[in-house]
Amino acid sequence: MYGRRASRLLREITCCEPGQITAFNSDTFEQVCNECNEHHQQLLSLIKKIEDEQLDMETTRNEEHYGAVIHHLSLLRNKRCLMAYMYNRAEIIQSMRWKIGPVLPKEIHEKLNYSEEEYFKNHSTAIESYMSELDLDLTVDMIPPKDPYIQVRVLYDIGDVLLGDHSTSLKQNSVHSLRRTDAEKFISQGLMEEFVG
Amino acid sequence: MASGSASEFDSALGGTNEFPWTNDDSNSLETTDIELLKKAWRNEKASPEILHFQSDLVQRAREQIQLLEGTMDEFEDNNTDDLLVSIYQMDLDRALFLVRSYLRIRIFKIEKFIAHISRSHLWNRLSDQERNFAKRCIDIMEKHLQQCVLSRLPNGYQSFFKQSVSSVEDDMIPEPQLDTFVFCKSKGAVGAFQLDDIGDEIVDLVADDLYVLRYKSIKALVESGQVDLV
Repeated sequence: MYGRRASRLLREITCCEPGQITAFNSDTFEQVCNECNEHHQQLLSLIKKIEDEQLDMETTRNEEHYGAVIHHLSLLRNKRCLMAYMYNRAEIIQSMRWKIGPVLPKEIHEKLNYSEEEYFKNHSTAIESYMSELDLDLTVDMIPPKDPYIQVRVLYDIGDVLLGDHSTSLKQNSVHSLRRTDAEKFISQGLMEEFVG
Repeated sequence: MASGSASEFDSALGGTNEFPWTNDDSNSLETTDIELLKKAWRNEKASPEILHFQSDLVQRAREQIQLLEGTMDEFEDNNTDDLLVSIYQMDLDRALFLVRSYLRIRIFKIEKFIAHISRSHLWNRLSDQERNFAKRCIDIMEKHLQQCVLSRLPNGYQSFFKQSVSSVEDDMIPEPQLDTFVFCKSKGAVGAFQLDDIGDEIVDLVADDLYVLRYKSIKALVESGQVDLV
């Protein structure tokens, strides 16, 4: 059946948890692209038949005409599916810049195709240049602050750090109550996490 | 956000009152920048399409935040009471969050509906910086889809905006869903308001009552500021 493969691509997106990405399905993607070109070949040959019979393209309603329409519409459907597949993936990739940061972990990298990796990099640079034009970092402060102090757990040994007017020793696995503004830079570097007891 | 915090915001960002909690003048609630910013933020958050950028408001808020940051530094030098400092710090953090979140929501909308925004009247609603961002965004999105999909399709089917050359209008562009329902409240009595084109559905908008209506039908009221989204 025409268009079945393309719908399989989209099912992959909808079956996935929102915000998660599956590995780029290059096999099916290839097949759908080929299907598009086959449709086009068929379409052209049907049009040629109509022309050969010297019939008027606008008014002819014979079997060739309807065959051509079906190939045309199947092609459109395939195109929409391919575009939706890439577009939805691109949206997930965009959201990763906000959730994860400018560098993606390896397991996500492996799921992207070449162009998507490039897209992530370019998009990430676009966001960065917007933020530098504003002179404001928008990637911090994602949830509304409740308290000027937060509990944090240190994930890696950081050593002695001067916070405010006294120095604190930030050892691995120790829990501290820090000013949110002080803790934020360590959290974004992945050196500590918010401790929810 | 707790309603009690409103007066803290006022004093920190607008008023000169030394004790934030004594400033309980309800008249000032609607007029302080932080209230206006909160309103703009709520509207932006709840509306499906991007609204006008509040450039003056954002600039004023950022200037006031900077001032407050200066005050915080002075506090530290003067050894001011820790409790007072932390209350001011909280104020500052919340205000900063509002600004960031406001800008962020707009950027998310631009990312999502970039093609639609760049080809419609919505383009005028962006700030200069947002326009620069949007231009880059559409370039890289177009390049990406061109590379992966469009270049592989047959002639006549390669447009980013149209399904094929036989489409008259741009029919490949995702648009925001304006039919969606929103919660809204009107400040003053708007009176009888027509929800659809034919005039079958008329609603009497009373001040401070809460309504759930289609965004499309009250769009004009939101834009003119007569109705706030909540």
